[in-house]
Amino acid sequence: MTKSPESPDSPTAPRTTSKSPSPTTTSSPVLPLLGRGLLAGGIGGLAAGLFSLLLAEPLMDKAIRAEEARAHEHEPAGGAVEHHEELFSRSTQHAGLVIALVVAGLAIGVLFAVAYALVHRRDPRGNPWPRALAFCAAAFCAVSLFPALRYPAAPPGVGDAGTVGDRQQMWLGAVVIGVLGMFLVWQVYVRLAPRPVPLRQGAVAVTAALVLALLWTLPDNPDPVPVSATLLWDFRMLSLASHVLMWAVFAAVFGGLGLRAVRAKAPAPTDTADEAESVEADYGSVAPVR
Amino acid sequence: MSVTSAHGTAHSDTAAIQSATIETRDWLIAAAAAIVALIALYAVFMDNGSLISATGDYLHEFAHDGRHLFGAPCH
Repeated sequence: MTKSPESPDSPTAPRTTSKSPSPTTTSSPVLPLLGRGLLAGGIGGLAAGLFSLLLAEPLMDKAIRAEEARAHEHEPAGGAVEHHEELFSRSTQHAGLVIALVVAGLAIGVLFAVAYALVHRRDPRGNPWPRALAFCAAAFCAVSLFPALRYPAAPPGVGDAGTVGDRQQMWLGAVVIGVLGMFLVWQVYVRLAPRPVPLRQGAVAVTAALVLALLWTLPDNPDPVPVSATLLWDFRMLSLASHVLMWAVFAAVFGGLGLRAVRAKAPAPTDTADEAESVEADYGSVAPVR
Repeated sequence: MSVTSAHGTAHSDTAAIQSATIETRDWLIAAAAAIVALIALYAVFMDNGSLISATGDYLHEFAHDGRHLFGAPCH
């Protein structure tokens, strides 16, 4: 029954019996989670990047042509509106889109893994699949959906260089409210555990709605949007779709790798076999998420 | 290294200390990774030329389309 703590998967291994709550039972699961987060984020970002490259880039090119047309019409001097062509060609920026989303996916994967490890540090042995789905749904609301509802994505050509600092603060504010808000939602869900299910779920829904409403205490986006409504709607839908795709792929990879790690441990030493089997028995079931 | 409760007290104490050390190390690695991740996100979504200011707005322009698509403020 000798197990090296340095082996990549061992920190998540259920390695002691329940009758010995020594520090060894809480051996850190954080490094394998970091690996899963990086892989899930990289693949999720790549999926979102390729999706946008195919569907959103034609729209962005169109928006930039419209922007140039507007610039010629109104102020030939151009100013802020001509900077898009200066440093990189459009094709480089197309590649930059995919690379930016992959890098963002990797970084989000790391932060996701650390948050996931912190939230589940008391009980690192739950079924990883429903946990990954629930955590990704919360993360999607926190960093994608809620900020996008308050400050919807704008195509190239929208956005004043003079207000970018203010808009960044607002956007960061929306992300921070989203993240803290989903943390609050989780706390409500955990603390109302002994209460009846309808009360618990109702309280979660009301809390989420209040967090969303709180976003409107932030100032409005000051910039005009001088593009056609059709282009704007299409761009915002594609932006949201790429977020959804990233988180869906992320959840599938992160949860799938978690299940794989549990399965790899199934033929574990005798004192851990019960734990591993109890998690394995939950495959595909709708086990409660803790 | 054996870490099961079936072993003697002295042995499991050593194991406990070693496990706590490993856990501390792992969380430090995680914290470092999180800081790198935040810097990467800043570079991709927030930078307006301050990270590589000498050479211009390269990061912003390279990640330009990604910023617009992700919903990050851009100009």
